[in-house]
Amino acid sequence: MELAVDAESAARLREVRALGESRMRPVGLEADRAGAPVPPDHPFFAELVARGFGRTRWSGEIAGADAEAPSGPRRSARTAVLLAEEMAYWDRGVAVAFPGPGLGEAPLLAIGTPEQRERFLAPFRAPDRPRWGSFAMTEPGAGSDVAAIRTTARRDGDAFVLSGAKSFAANASRADWIVVFATVDPTLGRDGHRAFVVERGTPGLGGFHVEHKMGLKAYESTSFTLEGCRVPVANLLGGDTREKRGAGFKGAMQSFNATRPAIAAMAVGIGRAALDAALAFAREASLLRDPRVRDRLERMERRLRAARLLCWRAAWLADEARPNQLEASMAKAVAPAVALEAATLGTDLLGEVGARGDHLLEKLFRDVKAMDIVEGTGQIQRIVMARQLLQLPRDGT
Amino acid sequence: MFDFALPPELALLQESVRAFAMERLRPRERVHEAARAVAPEVAALHRELGVGVLELPEALGGAGLGALARAVVSEELAAGDAGAAVALDPLGPALYALSELGGEEALRRHALPLLVRTGARAVLAVDPAPRLRTEGRLVQGALPYVPADRVDLLVVLERERAYVCTGPFSVSPLRGAGLRAAGASELVIAGEARLLDEWVSTPRARRALARTRLLVAAMLVGVARASSEYARRYALERVAFGRPIAHHQALAFLLVDMASAVEAARLLLWQAAVALDADADDSADALCASAFVEAAEAALFVTPNGVQVLGGHGFMQDHPVEKWMREARTLSLLAGGVDLAREDAGRRLVGQGDAPLALAGGAV
Repeated sequence: MELAVDAESAARLREVRALGESRMRPVGLEADRAGAPVPPDHPFFAELVARGFGRTRWSGEIAGADAEAPSGPRRSARTAVLLAEEMAYWDRGVAVAFPGPGLGEAPLLAIGTPEQRERFLAPFRAPDRPRWGSFAMTEPGAGSDVAAIRTTARRDGDAFVLSGAKSFAANASRADWIVVFATVDPTLGRDGHRAFVVERGTPGLGGFHVEHKMGLKAYESTSFTLEGCRVPVANLLGGDTREKRGAGFKGAMQSFNATRPAIAAMAVGIGRAALDAALAFAREASLLRDPRVRDRLERMERRLRAARLLCWRAAWLADEARPNQLEASMAKAVAPAVALEAATLGTDLLGEVGARGDHLLEKLFRDVKAMDIVEGTGQIQRIVMARQLLQLPRDGT
Repeated sequence: MFDFALPPELALLQESVRAFAMERLRPRERVHEAARAVAPEVAALHRELGVGVLELPEALGGAGLGALARAVVSEELAAGDAGAAVALDPLGPALYALSELGGEEALRRHALPLLVRTGARAVLAVDPAPRLRTEGRLVQGALPYVPADRVDLLVVLERERAYVCTGPFSVSPLRGAGLRAAGASELVIAGEARLLDEWVSTPRARRALARTRLLVAAMLVGVARASSEYARRYALERVAFGRPIAHHQALAFLLVDMASAVEAARLLLWQAAVALDADADDSADALCASAFVEAAEAALFVTPNGVQVLGGHGFMQDHPVEKWMREARTLSLLAGGVDLAREDAGRRLVGQGDAPLALAGGAV
């Protein structure tokens, strides 16, 4: 039992803090005021790439070896939750806008062939400029019910022809490629799902529309269409083999399992930012003598710490290569509600100042709501937990 | 780097205490509750486990284990029967006041004699806004409830001091709301009662209270876990509207939230215990206070819902869930109560100059 962070991670967290304080927080506030995503040519992104951000965690293919060759005890999941929390503390929107392969990386690592990893991740090993990857699952008619996606992939010679519409994909319009989930046969449900890497400029990929959001304005959430979009068979993740049948859906789910603790940790980070701002405001406004205020602050500190420990435990289990589906969903179910409560408390303390629309706490209140929605809503997390704990049937509603 | 695995020897101890709690305490909990005592043969088995003197220093014949061991063991015992867990620990949290303020000498003088007397019980009165008054060496006052039917040693813990009070006490049995296996009495101190030993130290008194809160928090986690788990199993068997009630989403979501509450409370409990074992500064005391608040909130959310999941059956005394609801209520009134803990943790929080959660690599 050890509940401290190692020196190496602590040093990295201090680096993130310096970057967050000097750049991420101001850039995020700027985007929020402008009501538009940070543009791809913003000098901040080039600066990040020069500092070594925006890279893939894929270390290159060694014949037959695992994508992440383990040396010593694994701690990548734990490092990921720590960094996710700290980045989100400064600005979760800016963190998502960071260059890099993004959410598309996990399915490439989980089900991509060595050739595909080489083609799509190698440019992220030492990127010459800010580059983005993207991931598109959600559709106008399919959010939580992932199996209901309607984007079709029809085989035509050496290509698949993709047709459909995708919604709310982060960084999609600026991405080099988008991992798009589509069905080869809607009657097969999940078994018909396949994941395709659709490259920028592919004819038929278009209609990019950057959505207007309540918060997290620093990164683009983009909807787009695929109209007779021909994607080479070589871009079908995992290749076109019988064994990979169903790998599309499973690949997506696996990548969610890997990212849930980190998403939950981001909620903790936002909540922590709210708690700190609330405490600072309460101190300035001499509210700390009021036991009601102290009690509410105490509750937030305690609940955020509990949420953080839930994230940490889920990540630790992942590093131990033990099942963590229940624990990951638990963290993701708990943390966003706690963080929203912290932002609500903070704005309560502000009083009417919270209604002006120009205070960090008011921004955090808007930003944090997304955390209970993205990558599995709180309700979906509870269904996942109920499947584990209560053998809830798949179609059980 | 953080790692949630229990040390192997503690994991083994947890296993044997869990077996004892489930095989010896749980099946007899109604018997023990009615008898207001644990059966002698069960108490003998408990003594063989060696967890009764878990935190007593080895030099004094104890196991010399720390707060994490206490947290793990007390959760397990309370998951079996919280009342029995109190009854089986003759020193209870009085140990903390004696050892933190009086040291080994106080333990030799007051604790060791108690341990050799069959059935003897020490009671710790947490008395932050004193109900017991001392004038010179005379002690007077009353405690409306103590979880015992006999009081062989009364230790009083105030904010800045602790003292041992000699009898005579008037111990009048009460029905008791929960923890009846440990007994339940009103304690009136009048006449010739004397303050025997007294130690003054605010930081040591704070630490003694912290350890008391950790002990009670561990029991609350155990009770909440018992209820959550029992309700889960019941909901998988009970059928309504053509399917197990666990598969109705209204109950499925409630049951997973109950499980989450238990897990969150346990993690805060362990964090506080690890801080105590590292002998951290007063941040450990605040962590214990908040672990107690969290455990109480979790238990008072989980155990009434444990009754709810069983519906009418839950309200009847054929199932243990109603008992766990009463135990959770009673436990969370001990150790000075939840509001005091909230106040202590809150004051520490706002008294800090820095961001309270700070960097993960810093404060935690």
